[in-house]
This record gives sequence, structure tokens and C-alpha cells, in this order.
Amino acid sequence: MTKSNLTLRAERGAEWAYRPPHPTHWDEFLDESGRIRPHWRRLAAGLRGLGLAEFRKRADVGQRLIQANGITYNVYGDPQGKERPWRMDPVPLAIGEDEWDRIERAVAQRATLLNAILADLYGSQRLLRDRLLPPELVYANPSFLRACHGIVPPAGVYLQNYAVDLARAPDGQWWVIADRTQAPSGLGYALENRLVTARTLPTLLDKCHARSLARFYEGTFEALLRLAPNRAASPRVVLLTSGPHNETYFEHSYLSKHWGVPLVGGDDLTVRDSRVYLKTLAGLNQIDVIVRRLDDDFCDPLELRGDSLLGVPGLVQAARAGTVFIANGLGSGLVETPSIMAFLPGLCRHLLGEHLLLPSVATWWCGQDEPRRHVLNEMNGLVVKPTFPRFGQRAEFPASMNAEARRALVARIEQHPASFVAQEQVDLSTAPIHTHRGLEPRHVVLRALAAWDGASYSVLPGGLTRVATGRQSLVVSMQLGGGSKDTWVVDQRASRQREPRATLRPSLVQGVSTELSSRVADNLFWLGRYAERLESTARLIRVLLPGLSGESELGRGADINTILHFLRGLNLLPAEFKHAPIAQQWWRLQGLLGQLVFDPDRPSGIGWNLRQIRRLSWEVKERLSQDTWRVLQQLEKGFADAPSSPERRYVAALQQLDDVVIMLSAFAGLLSENPTRGHGWRFLDIGRRVERALQMIEWLRVGVATAPLPDDGCLEVLLQAADSSTTYRSRYLTAIRTRYVLELLLVDEGNPRSVAYQVATLNDRITGLPEPSEGQELGEHTIGPRLMSLLRNARLDELKRRDAKGERLQLEAHLQTLRNGIVDLADALALRYLSHSIPSRLTPSL
Amino acid sequence: MLYRARHTTLYRYAAPVSQCLSEVRLTPRALPWQTVLERSIETTPRAASLDERKDYYGNSVSLLSILERHDQFSTVATSLVRVDARPEMIEATPAWEQVREDVAAQRTAEAIDAVEFVFDSPYVTTGPELVAFAGGSFTAGRPLMAALSDMTHRIHHEFTYKPTTTTIDTPVLETLRTRRGVCQDFAHLMIGALRSMGLPARYVSGYLRSGADYQGAEASHAWVSAFIPEHGWMDFDPTNDVIPGTGHITLAWGRDYGDVAPVKGVALGGGKQVVEVEVRVDPVEG
Repeated sequence: MTKSNLTLRAERGAEWAYRPPHPTHWDEFLDESGRIRPHWRRLAAGLRGLGLAEFRKRADVGQRLIQANGITYNVYGDPQGKERPWRMDPVPLAIGEDEWDRIERAVAQRATLLNAILADLYGSQRLLRDRLLPPELVYANPSFLRACHGIVPPAGVYLQNYAVDLARAPDGQWWVIADRTQAPSGLGYALENRLVTARTLPTLLDKCHARSLARFYEGTFEALLRLAPNRAASPRVVLLTSGPHNETYFEHSYLSKHWGVPLVGGDDLTVRDSRVYLKTLAGLNQIDVIVRRLDDDFCDPLELRGDSLLGVPGLVQAARAGTVFIANGLGSGLVETPSIMAFLPGLCRHLLGEHLLLPSVATWWCGQDEPRRHVLNEMNGLVVKPTFPRFGQRAEFPASMNAEARRALVARIEQHPASFVAQEQVDLSTAPIHTHRGLEPRHVVLRALAAWDGASYSVLPGGLTRVATGRQSLVVSMQLGGGSKDTWVVDQRASRQREPRATLRPSLVQGVSTELSSRVADNLFWLGRYAERLESTARLIRVLLPGLSGESELGRGADINTILHFLRGLNLLPAEFKHAPIAQQWWRLQGLLGQLVFDPDRPSGIGWNLRQIRRLSWEVKERLSQDTWRVLQQLEKGFADAPSSPERRYVAALQQLDDVVIMLSAFAGLLSENPTRGHGWRFLDIGRRVERALQMIEWLRVGVATAPLPDDGCLEVLLQAADSSTTYRSRYLTAIRTRYVLELLLVDEGNPRSVAYQVATLNDRITGLPEPSEGQELGEHTIGPRLMSLLRNARLDELKRRDAKGERLQLEAHLQTLRNGIVDLADALALRYLSHSIPSRLTPSL
Repeated sequence: MLYRARHTTLYRYAAPVSQCLSEVRLTPRALPWQTVLERSIETTPRAASLDERKDYYGNSVSLLSILERHDQFSTVATSLVRVDARPEMIEATPAWEQVREDVAAQRTAEAIDAVEFVFDSPYVTTGPELVAFAGGSFTAGRPLMAALSDMTHRIHHEFTYKPTTTTIDTPVLETLRTRRGVCQDFAHLMIGALRSMGLPARYVSGYLRSGADYQGAEASHAWVSAFIPEHGWMDFDPTNDVIPGTGHITLAWGRDYGDVAPVKGVALGGGKQVVEVEVRVDPVEG
């Protein structure tokens, strides 16, 4: 369809045409006679009023927000290891209030039921003795963690939060298709989706009286704090993640920021005397509540999974001792087992004395004779799954198999019947999504989210709607590229009283700014170092690159010899360049510099540094302001697709280098403007200063100490790369002289690029760091002042002198001493604050 | 019989360890025929904390934390244990198929307790190869006791005891194929064979009296316990083709080795490591 065509249709007002393709499926938007369902009417009218063209603009704004905020979902096994932008369809899913009330009650009931089942199975196991659940589903289940048997969490809350995937059948009935109990995801994405619609469709959100989500997040977080075992003090909470490679890492970092609690990895925590502590710069701080996003068996390498070193050794013991509340309780994954679903109606009557409000999708466990016969007879309408799902195992669909594959599946079931469970395939309902063709139907699954509210379970009024991958697809999986929708619970009746906005009692939350973990400090330190390394590399290449065309601003001196000298001296030249005749190098250098800019695999190049920055900034995402994050995102943009031809690469490279330098100035500016100069900022700045000092020392070694005569080209490169030409000219009013260059770039404490300036700043930053209680000798407190006096007492006239052979050995030695001093300083800091040991497992003995 | 047992485990690391958390199962169980009179666990460096508890199977577990920097970690567990004669073994047992059915149908409370040990566990899987192997002993209608004794005997005779040929991770099927292994492998093999027939079986770790004519006395020993209705659990030592008596001291039991490893742990630092184990069990006059 051409663009003008689209506009024409938009003018006619027919652009919202929507036709559900599956007459046999339930459509969320239209009823069977094609009328808009009542709870969608306000939303539909609002969209119509907006017009397609405006709606598209809003959708673009939403997409840009998602990208700028780094909302991503990681895909396992992606060869590029890249985070994918979160996919969010701009059309919300509407659910009527009456219907929602039923869903809400049913989800809360199910959370209560699953919690009661966990309490039984990790306690008396009466359900097995009373034959309400086959023992195999527990005893043969890898998700039943025997080490956790007998642990009773505070208030008996095993499930602090719970997620359940709901699908709507053609008759309009909702069915549960999966329970998520060990580390449910969705809370962060659901909130972020709402924030995006609040930015893009604010009036509509209001007009539809979509229920606010805020109260749920605040209320359940407050309830979480009250589950802390140590009620006397204000509880300290951490969010435990397995790191940036986790598929939902964005959400971990997002929620940690939203709740104001530190995001930690297993190695940030340590267990002593059955208590959990966070390793911070100032020492160990006891932790009262852990929201963990690590799967059950990864949480404690000592007592749980034997082949992983993720997690916190001793965590099970701390839970056993009752010194910490863990959400969700260790071992909660047990009730995710699909085969248990088949027994829930009976368990619900037995444990709660209630009828199960929301049915599970029909489930047959082949370990029992009757169900197995049914599965083998009715295979075509079923999904066959392993009884105890393991990572990487997928469901199988007999209906789409050929006869041979089906026979093989039957054989496998007959051989190990207890290993298989089959479920009915629900014909998922459809809802409209926005595509470039207008509105189109897609299958949807609603993930409802619940959490303990202090007395029972509250359900998030909304949830995360997930959208199938393609038109015909029934597969709803973010892993496989599906999308999501904001979900609105709308009031169909007249305007409703707005609920008052709940507020978080500030006394409950411990200030977190001082609680910088050593790992975060280490990441910030290196982020500072790489950002600076990137900047100096960019600045230098930016000065050298134009020289290749022979038309640079460097004047006569900066010829190819100067360029080669710098590249060689800074170890940026591959071996084959070192001895080739100059004539051959002229054009090959162009290619090399292009590579240095674009190739992410070339160590110490621009692309390579960017990759390090990217990795580190993900590690500390929750510590960076949104603006800082955006600047870092911008930095990468131009490098995604490098031009292939060397000449275009060369032209593009210059442009990229300018951008890098500008963006890094913005980055540095944001950091210096940042009002909270906590320890995190200190470590970032220490990293930058250390690196800048080392780079400058290196430049002076190459550009002055070992510069071949005539050396005015080298000096000019130095001044320009160090952004100090103007200062030089206004101060010295003379041609470039070695002594003055040394003065400006080495010892001038007023020049922000000089070595002396970095050392002075470092000394200042170090003074403000917390001092560990043990009375160790503080190496970093003596090295800094020693370096400063070395710089102040430097005799520049002697240092600049060349000996009989034309060498400046004295200057070289002096620079070397300075360099060693800076490295020692960095090492001393790392040893005190940032040191990490790699854990190892003791070989189990006989 | 009265014994003094001394179980030494020494880890030597290539790189220093700054702290270590270790879980040990080194205290013999109290049983109707076994009384623990004295016991101690000492470590070098000294443990900063020591927590004791009973695990899921009722074994004594100690959790030790070492917070000192070290490059060697040793644990010495000593105990004084009296081992009396076990209850008389019963000769008249039901046909093994009957036991399998009782367990599957969980007709009795003890069968419900035993069913936990009929399923696959991390170190022991079941399968047709093991059914075939077990079939040699578990012939139709044979009384359970006779079949169990026969399998114990067969493993001892058909397999070669070869220390250092295996690691603790040797899969049961590999033991079955190579026909060699150590006591842990033979125990796992027999457990896998029994479970493949639908019979509950558990793994027992313990000590053998030193100097006896037994194999497997230089480190901790392992054998098998099988479920016999109305009698409870009865031990079989396929490595030595005996029914354990006063020469076997029971430390712990579980589904397989993984549930009862005498010493395991996680260290910060350490790198490559070497572990040495020594067990002495001497009779004491008294």
C-alpha cells in the first residue's frame, strides 16, 4: 500500500477497520455479531477520535521511549548476545471490571492454594499420605528441594509473588495455562508498559478509568518489608539477580530502581553465622529481605545445585535459621510443575474448602493408567510436555507431526509414561494489534500478577498481555519474539471515584545510597576507565586521521612519519605495518584507522572500548540516571553498521569520532552535574582520573620522550589531542616548545588534561572514601601525595634535554616512575575496596 | 564391638582461600544396634562457626565456616561407636513382585515412606539395561531376600574392584559396561538395578573396620539398603558380598552419594585443589 493511499483512507475515517480472522475463536474486541464489546467502547471511541495518523505518531513516541530507556528482553542463544528492544503493541488490552473481579478472586485463590500446597509439601506432606497427590510428582521432581524441607518462612509466606498465564477459550471462559512461582517475571514490564501508555495516551487512559497500578506496587512492597524477620530495625532489602545475561535483566534493574533497593549478584552477598550480609565499601551490612530473581536451584551452590557457582553459599542455612525473608521461598518452583495442575480441584476442596474458581487447562499425567490411555487415544488435540520441565525442553504438538514422529512419541510415552504430561491446546482468543497495515488480530495470553499484601493476595489490576509471534501462531513467547500489551481494567459504568494514591512510608526504606556494593564500585571504576580510554583514543585518532589526506590542520610537521610514530608508539600498529615501506602504508593506514574505529574485536580500538562500556553500563544500569543512560545508548548508535568500502568508512569514521567526543563530553558533564556525589560517583571519577593520567603519561612518552627529530609535528599532535592548543597559544604566544608542552600537560595543576591535575583530583576523591575498620596501612593515602611531590619538584629543563644520542632517557624514567605510582595507587584501591575472589567448589570427598 | 574411628579429609589449594563454607556428614547415626559414645569434628584452620542439624533423611550434618585465609583445609572427625548385632534376618520374604506392587499401590504407611527411594535420583538412573541385569537375580516368583542376596553375590563376583578407575561421577551404565569400579559405583549400580525393578533402595555411607578382609576400608565405604515389607530396611554390601553386621559403621543414608557426601563445600579463591582422605577404624578394648 502506498503512503498516499493510507492518508486517503485516514481521511475517510475507515482506517480502524478490524476483522478477526478466526470465527471459531473468541475475540476480545468484537463480539460474534461484529459489535464492539461494551468495555472497549470508550477506548475505541478515543482511538477513533485520535485518528490513525496521530496514533502512529504516538506509537513512535512509545517505541522511542522503549529504546531510549533501554527496555529490553534478552534472548538466550542469540549469537550477537544483544538485548532486544522490548516489544510493546500500542493498543492496550481492555478488560471489563466485572470480569476482572472474577479473575482477581480466582487468581488470589490460586495463589493461596499454591502457597498452602508448598507449606504442606515442605512440611508434614499430609497430601501425599492422604493420597491427594501422587508421591512421584514430589519425590521424583527435581524441583522438590529436600534441603528446604522443614523451613517455614515468616508468616508462612512461601509465595510472596505469583504469576499465572491465562488464556480465553472460544466460549469466553478463562483457563490457566501455566503457573509461575519461583521467580515470576512481569511486574517490571507491566509497570513500564503502563508508563509508556501514560506518556503516549494520557487522556485516553484517564477517560477509560483504567485502574491505577501504583497502589499495588506500593502496597505489596510495604507488605514485603513487614515480612522481614527482624522487625525492630528498618529492614534492608536487596534484589538478587543472575546478571545482565538473564532474559529479564531489564526488569531486575528496573524494579530495583523503582523500589530503591540495591541490585546485587550472588557474590555481593555473604553468609556468616547463618545471617546474610551485603559486602559494601564500608563493610558488611546485614540483609533482612531478598527478592530473588534466580531460579530455586541456583540460589545456594553449597546445598542446592551441585554444578553451579551462582547464588550465595549458605543461603539455605540462613533461611533455615529464619534470619532473612526470601521472596519467593526457596523450593517454590515445585508447584510450577504442570502435572500438579491435574490435581488442583481436589487439593483446593481439601485445603481451602472451596471450589477452584479458575480451571486449569485440562491436564493428564501419563503416570496414571486412565489418563495415559486418554492421552494416547486423543493425542491430536493435545500438547505433550515433560512431567518435570528442564531448561531447553519444549512442548510437542502431535497434531502437526507426521505419522512417524507421532509413533516415536507414543513409543517414548509408553516406555516412560511417568515422564510425560499432556495438556489440552486452548484456542487462544484474539485481540487487535497495530501493524503497518492497520489493526490486525493476534492471539493473546494474559499474565496476571499477584503478591502478598499482608493479609492475603492482591492482584495487579491489569497485568502483562503477551501477543503471539505471527498471525496464525498460537505460540506466545517473548523468547521466540512475541510482543506485549499494556492491560487496562476499565470501568464501564459512569465516572468513578479516583482511588487516592498510596504513598510509601519513607521510614520503612533504608537509605541505599551509602550501600554501594564492592561489585558495583568495581564496575563503576572500570566504566570510568573505559569511558576515558575511549575518549583519549577517539581524540587522538581524530587528530591523526585527517593527516592521511595530506590536508590537515596540523601543518607541515604532521606527516605520515608522525602518524606512524604515534600508532607504533601506542602499540596500535599490527606487526605487518612495522617494517613495510612508507609508500605502501599510505593507503593501508586508512583501512587500519577505519578498523580501529569500527571493529569491535580489535583490542583498544574505539569499537572494542564501546563494547566494554556497554557491558559495564548494563551491570550498573540501575545506578545511572536516565539521561546518562541515554547518552551511553547514543554513543553506540553510529557503530551498528559500518560502511563496507574503505573510503566511505574513512569518511564515516571522522564523523563518528566527532560524535564520540561530543557524547563523552555530555557524559562527563552529566556526571559532574549529578547532585548525589556518593561513593559510586567517586569510583567512576577515580576510574576516569586514573585512566586519563595513564593515557597522558603514555602520550608524553611517545610524543615527547621518544619523539624522533624534528619533533614539532609530534608536539602539535599532542596539544591538539589534549585539547590544549588554544590554551598554549594564548599563554605562551610562541612557537611550540618542548618545555612549555611539558609544563602544560605534565605539571600544570590548573589544566584539566594534565597529569598533575589528575593526581590532585585523585587525592581529593580518595580522602572521601570510607575507611574500613581494620587498622590496615592505607597505601593509597601515601602514594598520592608522593606522586604530587614528584610532579611539583620536576625539573622540566633537565627533563626536556636530549643526551648525546638525542634521547630523553631522564624524561622516560620520570614518566615510568609516575606511571608505576598511578598503577600502584589503582591497585591499592582495588585491593581495599574492589577485591574479588573467584569461588571454587571443594571436590566432594569420600 | 567398640570402635574408634578417625576420618581425615585434607584439601590443598593452589591459590589462597579467603573463606570457605563446608557441609560435612561425619557423625555416625544413632541406630538400634549402633550407639555413638563420643564424637568430635576438628578443622584447621579453626571454624568460625559450626551449626549442627539433622538433614531430610535424619543424618547429622555440620555446617562449618572458615573465615581465615588459608591454603589447606583439613577436617578430622573422630568417634567412639559401639556396634551390636543387628536384628536377625528374616528368611521368609514375599515374592519380589509382591513387594513391587505393594510399594506402587502404597498399601501401607511404610510403603508410602519407602516410595521416595524408588525413583531416579541425580546419581542413579533406571532403564532397560538395568532391568536386564537385575533379571538375572529377580526371576519370577523368587522371594525378595533370595533375589537380593543373589544380586549382592553377583556384583561381587562379576565385577572387579579397582580403586582409582572411577570418579564419583561414573554413570551407573558405565559401571555396568566396564564391570569394574569401587564401592560407591557398586552401590549405585545395585540401587539402579533394584529401582529399575520397582523396588525401593537407598545408599548408605559408613566405615569398615580396618584390617579386616574387606575392600573399601581406606576411605569411607558405601553399601545398599533395600526395603523389605514388615521388616524395614536391610543392608547389603555388594563390594564384599556380605550382609553388614558388627564390622560396618553407618554414617548416613540417602538416595545416592549426592545426599550423603562426607565433605563438600564452596571456597572463595582456591583454584586447583587436591583432596586426600584417610580413614582408620580400630577396635577398642572394653
